[in-house]
Amino acid sequence: MKSATAWLALLALVSSHVGIANAVPAKKEELPKGPGSKAVTDEILDAIAEEMNRAMTALEIPNNPKPYHISYKVTEVDVNDAAASLGQTTSKRNRHFVNLEARVRVQIAPTLDNGNFSVPQAEEIDAVVAINLPVESNARIARRAAWLVTDGAYKEALIQLRAKLEHRRASGARVSDVPAWTTEKAMVSEEPVLVPVLEPLDELEARAKAISAGFRDHPQIRDSRVALTSYLERRWYITTEGTSVTDTRRASGVVIAASGQSDDGQPLAQYFLRYGHTAKDLPADDELKAESKKLVDTITALQKAPMIERYSGPVLFEGEGAVGLLRFALAPHLGGTPVPEGLNPQEAKQFGGALTDKIGLRVLAPNLTIVDDPTARDGGGKALIGGYKIDDEGVRAQRVEVVKDGTLKTLLTSRTPSAKGMTSNGHARRTAEGGAFHGSATNMFVSGKTTVSRAALKAKLIATARAEGLKYGLIIRRFDDAAITAAPEFSRRELVQLIKSTDQQIPPPAVLAYRVLPNGKEELVRGVQLAEVPIRAWKDVLGVSKETTTYNFLAATEGQLNLRLTGGTDDGFVPSGGIESGIVTPDLLLKEIDVQPASTGALPSPILPKPGK
Amino acid sequence: MRWIFLLGAAAGLLGCPGNGGTPTAKPDPKPPLLTAEIKLELPSIPSKIETTKSQPTENNAPGKRSPILDIMKAETERQMAALRKQKDPAHYLAYQLVEQRVVSLEAEGGALITDSDDTARNLDVEVRVGDPMLDSTRDLASDDNGLNSPLTRRGVVPFGEDKLAISNAMWLETDRRYREAVTALGYVRQDQSTLSKRATAPDFAPQPTPEVYVEAPVTLAFDKQQWVDRLKRCSAKALKGTATRGTCGVVFQQNTAWFVNSEGSQIQLSWTNAQMSVSVGVKAEDGMSLSRLEQRFGRQPGDLPADADVDKMIATVTSELDALHDAPLAEPYVGPAILEGRAAGVFFHEVFGHRIEGHRQKDKTGGQTFASYVGKDIAPEWLSVYDDPMIVTLNGMQLNGFYRFDDEGVRAQKVPLIDRGKLVGFVMGRNPIKGFMTSNGHGRRSPGLPPVARQGNLVVEVDKSVPRADLEKLLVEEIKKQRRPYGMIFTDISGGFTNTSAFAPQAFKVNPVMAYKLFPDGKRELVRGIDISGTPLVALQSIRAASREVETFNGVCGAESGWVPVSASSPSLLLEKLEIEKGFVPPDRPPVLQPPSIRKEAP
Repeated sequence: MKSATAWLALLALVSSHVGIANAVPAKKEELPKGPGSKAVTDEILDAIAEEMNRAMTALEIPNNPKPYHISYKVTEVDVNDAAASLGQTTSKRNRHFVNLEARVRVQIAPTLDNGNFSVPQAEEIDAVVAINLPVESNARIARRAAWLVTDGAYKEALIQLRAKLEHRRASGARVSDVPAWTTEKAMVSEEPVLVPVLEPLDELEARAKAISAGFRDHPQIRDSRVALTSYLERRWYITTEGTSVTDTRRASGVVIAASGQSDDGQPLAQYFLRYGHTAKDLPADDELKAESKKLVDTITALQKAPMIERYSGPVLFEGEGAVGLLRFALAPHLGGTPVPEGLNPQEAKQFGGALTDKIGLRVLAPNLTIVDDPTARDGGGKALIGGYKIDDEGVRAQRVEVVKDGTLKTLLTSRTPSAKGMTSNGHARRTAEGGAFHGSATNMFVSGKTTVSRAALKAKLIATARAEGLKYGLIIRRFDDAAITAAPEFSRRELVQLIKSTDQQIPPPAVLAYRVLPNGKEELVRGVQLAEVPIRAWKDVLGVSKETTTYNFLAATEGQLNLRLTGGTDDGFVPSGGIESGIVTPDLLLKEIDVQPASTGALPSPILPKPGK
Repeated sequence: MRWIFLLGAAAGLLGCPGNGGTPTAKPDPKPPLLTAEIKLELPSIPSKIETTKSQPTENNAPGKRSPILDIMKAETERQMAALRKQKDPAHYLAYQLVEQRVVSLEAEGGALITDSDDTARNLDVEVRVGDPMLDSTRDLASDDNGLNSPLTRRGVVPFGEDKLAISNAMWLETDRRYREAVTALGYVRQDQSTLSKRATAPDFAPQPTPEVYVEAPVTLAFDKQQWVDRLKRCSAKALKGTATRGTCGVVFQQNTAWFVNSEGSQIQLSWTNAQMSVSVGVKAEDGMSLSRLEQRFGRQPGDLPADADVDKMIATVTSELDALHDAPLAEPYVGPAILEGRAAGVFFHEVFGHRIEGHRQKDKTGGQTFASYVGKDIAPEWLSVYDDPMIVTLNGMQLNGFYRFDDEGVRAQKVPLIDRGKLVGFVMGRNPIKGFMTSNGHGRRSPGLPPVARQGNLVVEVDKSVPRADLEKLLVEEIKKQRRPYGMIFTDISGGFTNTSAFAPQAFKVNPVMAYKLFPDGKRELVRGIDISGTPLVALQSIRAASREVETFNGVCGAESGWVPVSASSPSLLLEKLEIEKGFVPPDRPPVLQPPSIRKEAP
């Protein structure tokens, strides 16, 4: 199943990011706000609420439970996108759409409802039904749409509940005393949240063309593109508990992607990605042109760089490298929502779960503290886009201290608890099989009690490697993001083979990695693939830097391998699927990480050189 | 999560051949129903067909040639100079770059629900590795998953006329496609080495004379706000009677296509088209979804009907929907029937047209229904069928299947298919079959897919005909002769499918939406819930008479090479026997609650 969030993100091509190790500091001055929604009016919302009340009162199939909770999410997305390659536009468009999503819950006891269960062979039955609303709707259309989605979701909820009962009986699951769904206070916040207007398409197009022209004189670059996006998403939640809230998210972003090929045929991809609340948070054109040049230089250097050999030892994750490690190897474990029932162990791995039942225990190096704060708009002096006022279950966003001095204090929770007494802390953001929202990271702040300079951390890497008898240590400065870099280079046969033979749970390859020799010299290497990073590796963090990196990204709902094989956003748009997230982190030196050469294979070199002018 | 799509009827769509999609028809346990020939004396008056045509090379405007053609030509020559010399040499290379602007506006019940205006530029690259006798496109004897087929993919090419940007996109995609073709040829050769019997027809028909043609660019002309207002008014009016859904929509397209190949062809085409639809729908009391649709086509938005004519379209669909809503379900039946003009056109498109697409005659898994019937009688001697993409209008109506050159760079040609009852030809792309070694300009596709032989404007013409009213009298005679309680009249068919796979019965199934019982006393009764099924040879030989009046169905047809615009024109036809079976009605799970008062705010 593709979650509603993922669907929106894919359609809207919205996304993440705003990285910013070296971006322009967020401006304090506020831009003028644009108007509220013209598509979703009080009349529309009243019509939906009226239909909700009618369903709550009267919707019942004899001999089956009635709904005990109905909720609606109305989402309006307005996005301007422009992309260019070699100075010429490849796409330029606005998309504006509205959809209505209904969720219905039925129960046979407070500890047993239909939620968070993936129906075997029918995962699409999850008591969530959505429909598009016109951008120029009226009460008649909205009421009819609400009627249909509520009816559909109710029928699915009944099937889901029955299947869950069957599953529990067949698997011999113990009767739990954990409530199926937490009780939360109803919230009313109906004042529109106004945000600055979108940057106009012509402006995005002009920038994309100007920056992408920088790749024209580089025959070693196989493909390149620059895309800019400007996006807003308005949301309204209405529930039978009396919650009626609205919120708006706004982001602008830029992506620069380029590819090449090593002398032995390995595809090489590099990217630069930044997001902010508006274009004012993004680097200026000159800086983006300089970043484009860096990508060219890196690809040129990688063409001749050696492949990594197998390696097991200390790795320094620097800048975006530290962000990537947290994103792929720790953040998935911070959710406190139980893994959906009905999944096989391989499928369940995507939900992390390594920290469940470890509250109160030391799980990280004692030097580390992690706070997740969706109420933050900035971090490290730069914009963060992972924030919101209300989460996807209508619960107010809350700052949460997850790990204090290495000890797990709590997890990021939604309204589906994993332990008795647990309540939501406003982190319901990710949907998955089974229809439940899962608690997940939003704006994640990692800090060290004791920090050293970046140079000192590198010296410690060298010393540790030497002490272990290694010829070199390893620094990783960036992981791949297939949503951005993937290109459809594979044939149908190759696609099938790769899907069959690749472990989908390992982190994506590191695209910027260096061997650090005892004398401190760095050598660029390619093909760096981390093996699975076990949660225990986080107990052996040898050092933390003073310098921090602020970076925004999408927590993709699609696996990196899938994105790579299907071409990611090769159509030229800004990526991708997933939920907006931000990380502020120092560099991290981990004691022992296993690395292997990437097995993504080689392509024959092109028969002809790239055409000239 | 599940999505509900409210906007019913995608219209004018002809589902087409193949093994997928809709369920296959049940095999008929009985032998074909060929009863004693009935000798009807028909007057030797042909049906009325008046056409205007435009030859492929008309309106050639070399002065309007885009620099894009030169960029494509240069890259083609550069590529072929190298690819010809490879260990696995390319013997053919073609590029087609299509820039398409699609404007879509739709209103429902007085509110605008669709408003989009998108332009995309996509590149298709055809690289054939090997030689024309055996190349990388040869189907494997067994490749159920289509692993050896090129990946469906649209190459994105920058807008404008910048040489570096365009040729770089061509280079990238050629590199990918050549590699894919080399791999495919490896499997083809291995496959061939294991077969006891190999096909002798070549894989490709070279074209010695290159085509050079330039059509001047055309642009869409329309006032968007005016159309939005019209559609809102139209959809508000359409929501009447029993209808719970009433939509009015337009789709305007502006296309420019540049084609260059290694044979030296350079073609620039530019055209617009416009389509308007009025659609209404409701559920019958028993849960069956009912809908009615009227469509009009034109080259430009200005060709579409004026408000007064739109009101007539609304009146037609709403009154027919009301009638359908009250109509009873029909029972299975075999007996005489009339297919009225448009329905007869769709019938021919499905039952006959897809089986005379040339490449199907060499598909080992295909039924090859007509492969051995060339020169033999398959229909009445007074009936002929041809396909002619050069027809612009037929009896004053613009035809949807008009084009000058196909998607393989071959000029459109009129192709006789049935000549006075005898099968004489196939619509051909550049994939030859025994006895038909050259293309006749019917290789078509939508962007991203390899072209195959497809129909354009299919025309059924007859040497003998009767006025439409007399056809009904002949039907009554047939009813009495066959001692049936009633006959059937079909006035509209929404589409259907035909199974061309040898694995399953060589059957067709079409979906009539307006079907009437005609009783011997002349009384008509509208019925619903039926499909017409049968096998093509029996159906063609069952045609007994035709009307003088000819009607045209315009639409788009989907098959393995995507959606292409088509038309089918035919007189009304009397068939001695047609088999009617119960249509598939999905289980209805009506909403638990009664609808909200959805009409109370209707504008």
